[in-house]
Amino acid sequence: MIGQCNRMISLCNRKHLSLALVSAALLAFQIALLQILATSQWHHFAYLVISIALLGFGAAGTLLALTRRWMTARQAQLLPLLLCCCAVTLAGSLTMTQSLFGGFDSFLLFVDIGEVLKLAAVALLLLLPFTCGALTIGLIFTLETERIGSYYFANMFGSGLGCLLGLAGLSLLLPQQLPPCFGFLALAAAVVLLPGSRPVARVVLVVSLALVTIFLVQATELELSQYKDLRRALDLPEATILANQPAAAGQIHIVDAPVLRGAVGVSLNWSGEMPQAPAVFVNGDSIGSLPQASGRDNPRNASTFALPYALGIPRRVLVLDAGTGVDVAMAIDRGAETVVAVEAHKPLVELLRTTAPTSVSRIFNNPGVTWQTLVSRTWLARDQQQYDLIILPKVGGFGGNAGLFALHEQPLLTREALQQAWSKLSPQGLLTVTSWVDYPVRTPLRLLATLVETLQEAGVTTPQDRIAAVRSWGTLTFCIKRTPYSKAELAAIRSFAKRWAFDPALLPDLRPEERQHFNRLQDDSLFQLFDGVLGPERAQLYNNYAFRITPVDDDQPFFSQFLRWSQLNALISLYGQRNLPFIELGMLVAVLAAGVLSLLATLLILLPLTRLPKGSGKHWQVLIYFGGLGVGYMWTELALIHHFVLYLGHPVYATALVVAVLLIGSATGSALTGRFRVCRPWRWTAATSSILLLYVVLLGMLLETTLTLAMPLRTALAVLVLAPAAVIMGMPFPLGLRLLNQAHQAEVPWAWGINSCLSVVGAALATILAVEFGYSLLLLLAATAYLLPTMIRFRVS
Amino acid sequence: MQIRRESTFSGVLMLCLVLLLCHAAVASSERGEDREAMVKEQILARGVKDPATLAAMRTVPRHLFVPESMSHQAYQDRPLPIGHGQTISQPFIVAFMTEIIKPGPGRKILEIGTGSGYQAAILAATGAQVYSIEIIPQLADSAAVLLKQLGFTHVATRSADGYYGWQEHAPFDAIIVTAAAEFIPPPLIEQLAESGLMIIPVGSPFFVQTLMLIQKRAGKTISTSLMPVRFVPFKRADEE
Repeated sequence: MIGQCNRMISLCNRKHLSLALVSAALLAFQIALLQILATSQWHHFAYLVISIALLGFGAAGTLLALTRRWMTARQAQLLPLLLCCCAVTLAGSLTMTQSLFGGFDSFLLFVDIGEVLKLAAVALLLLLPFTCGALTIGLIFTLETERIGSYYFANMFGSGLGCLLGLAGLSLLLPQQLPPCFGFLALAAAVVLLPGSRPVARVVLVVSLALVTIFLVQATELELSQYKDLRRALDLPEATILANQPAAAGQIHIVDAPVLRGAVGVSLNWSGEMPQAPAVFVNGDSIGSLPQASGRDNPRNASTFALPYALGIPRRVLVLDAGTGVDVAMAIDRGAETVVAVEAHKPLVELLRTTAPTSVSRIFNNPGVTWQTLVSRTWLARDQQQYDLIILPKVGGFGGNAGLFALHEQPLLTREALQQAWSKLSPQGLLTVTSWVDYPVRTPLRLLATLVETLQEAGVTTPQDRIAAVRSWGTLTFCIKRTPYSKAELAAIRSFAKRWAFDPALLPDLRPEERQHFNRLQDDSLFQLFDGVLGPERAQLYNNYAFRITPVDDDQPFFSQFLRWSQLNALISLYGQRNLPFIELGMLVAVLAAGVLSLLATLLILLPLTRLPKGSGKHWQVLIYFGGLGVGYMWTELALIHHFVLYLGHPVYATALVVAVLLIGSATGSALTGRFRVCRPWRWTAATSSILLLYVVLLGMLLETTLTLAMPLRTALAVLVLAPAAVIMGMPFPLGLRLLNQAHQAEVPWAWGINSCLSVVGAALATILAVEFGYSLLLLLAATAYLLPTMIRFRVS
Repeated sequence: MQIRRESTFSGVLMLCLVLLLCHAAVASSERGEDREAMVKEQILARGVKDPATLAAMRTVPRHLFVPESMSHQAYQDRPLPIGHGQTISQPFIVAFMTEIIKPGPGRKILEIGTGSGYQAAILAATGAQVYSIEIIPQLADSAAVLLKQLGFTHVATRSADGYYGWQEHAPFDAIIVTAAAEFIPPPLIEQLAESGLMIIPVGSPFFVQTLMLIQKRAGKTISTSLMPVRFVPFKRADEE
């Protein structure tokens, strides 16, 4: 009897451990997969593929709901087998997806409908490890619903650890090496449950171990889409990889080839050499070239980027989002005494500092240059110094950006960021930003609108006196000045422009005939629009223009989201349905992803209803309760990540902290529910909703006022702020499952499946909601999602 | 016996040659209806009128310049991938650019980015002398072989870095830079003849958003941006 009890206790502990291990494996794999797919494919489709794969959780819930009795009767055999399947499919995911049909290229989705089938096949393959892992989690939950608190603790705690492991793994190993490593975690989960299982499970485990080991030893090279910048660079003759550095913030490659040159937007009048320069890539996308030539040989002096230097030599320069350091190099070459370079990608800065060619070392060894490795926006908010020149990063891309950046947050281009930058200018200081010209015109328009409103909010009544802009064949550089431009300065700008065959686009005394002397446009619409932004009818222009050009703010920092839904039909009729995506691609894919996921999730949620006993309860209550929890949790997490990335200044660190605190806090809350009686779980959803509403009202203010604290204090404050909410957020789910289990045990896996499905859909919708309405509204909606279960007072008969 | 063997051998050789020529002719004449439809619906309908351009678009077998698996899509209104991260441009864009250049007998044209060779073939079909450079050796080789097989003798190709142009044959009446980068190489501007035209399609691999034209006139270099698709920013309420 005692032996039997001991065995049961031991099995209980082993199940907890196994649950924690497989949860860690799945979340770590998810994080690795995100970088793998972002590097090898086009980012937006990577996101879609992963979201579909995560529906494996929902699929597992559905399968469990349909086969609950069969699976629970065989749980001792099934659990280790499922974990072995999870381990093998996880470890071999990259090999399988890359070898399927000769590989999948997301860029070819635009031209070949057959690629959709490949996309679906890849998503299904990636669904396997998530489904197998989720089946074990769901099965354990189903078996142990009475003790769900401690098991949910194991699940959340393991997930929190998995997040940290995933990020650590990305920093230490190449992304393609990670799936097999995390496969071992799932295998360990199987080993833990081995005692008591049949001999066949041991055989399967040994075979699985061999397979995972093979996948690790023979880790497949990452196959990049032929349209990724990195792949195109590697296809060049004599291309060599100078550096390949793993990093959680994005894998770094430096590639050298004789034909690679760094000479962005150089004047047509430049007759010098365009020196060969290695190119730098993060997650397969080009971020620019290494600085090479110095002094007069630097062709950047013959680009519109050099406009501020036509007005004199700035003593103190601030370069934000410094990237590869080309602006730092130019500032040094042009005589700046002090240069502060801010770049959040710390491994990139360290790599350049330690391994870049000696021609680059001047941007690190110069005593006047200091590098700050944190988010530029955070630096702007905390820094108290003044500068003669502040350089914002280049906006847009050559050839237009086709809406690819629509979903990217660009916190340096918000109203608040520019106001902060303006406040840091010395009395004669200049702020400069360069944009590629796009067609239809969007980026320069919104930039100008933001600059104009920044000046007006600073009390400048005639912004046009302080704005200069110069246009080349491809780029347009704005300079705003603390004081009105003098005649001498305007003459210097004109001289600079004439020398390099640029055209003044904006000057206080600009004559219309000056605007298109060297670089002509098909019509005058760019200038009409510029005049509209500067004129008294700017608000009308914002409303009437076919694209959104209103300045963005910190709550909605999606500068490159220009799509106006009301104009969609007009744009389709003009460009054609097939071509419209290349005007505003990012947002359209996000909507497509959300639509596909919602459809699949609905199917998965509805299927079990065909098998559940009729009249067993109020299914809609279960749907609202568990669905609300799933959606609410994801929206809360994403909104909080946004806030704390800016607060803590390090994107990877902030994301890891927020996710870990939320998951481990929720785990704690879940464990505590073991002490509660199961009644009125909706009280805890009400409590969560209240805390989130407090966040909506107070969090922004709190973070802003404490931004100047040292990092350890900000971290401690972040944990203090997040932990209580996290603990409470961990309670409703296990309490709800226990309550459901008492009355309608058959619905437990279905409830878990609903929660999983709507977590995935929630994540997809979160992006759209944040882009369209901002993060404050996202948090408010999260509070509402938790409020709904409160309002229905979830109970089961 | 020996005479008979030699005669047989010559006969077989002749037969092979005839078959090859026939194949080329057949290949060229195949899909004629598709080409006609392409010209009518995608090119004429969008305002391209130059007779030389239209004639070239009608005769050059575009389907031979795309991967075989995509041959059925060759005459559709879209660019197509050709490997190595490159595409063959949408037929309308090819015709639009060709018309702008106004190629013809006696004109010397440099192309940077041979790709599939289709643009070069179109230009050569107008009678122009074409010099085409491709950095990816595999693309350069396959385009050269195909152009030769189809009898485009007015096209010289090489696999090289297009940055330096083709100095030996400069100046050029026109230069097309399909392998566009974030800068325009000074040697190409030097090699452009006075009043010559350089054309650079700008956009994603799958959709050209604008065409950059560079002209040299009286010592000045002028750029002009052209949009193949005209965009009207907005209509004021009082204009509706």
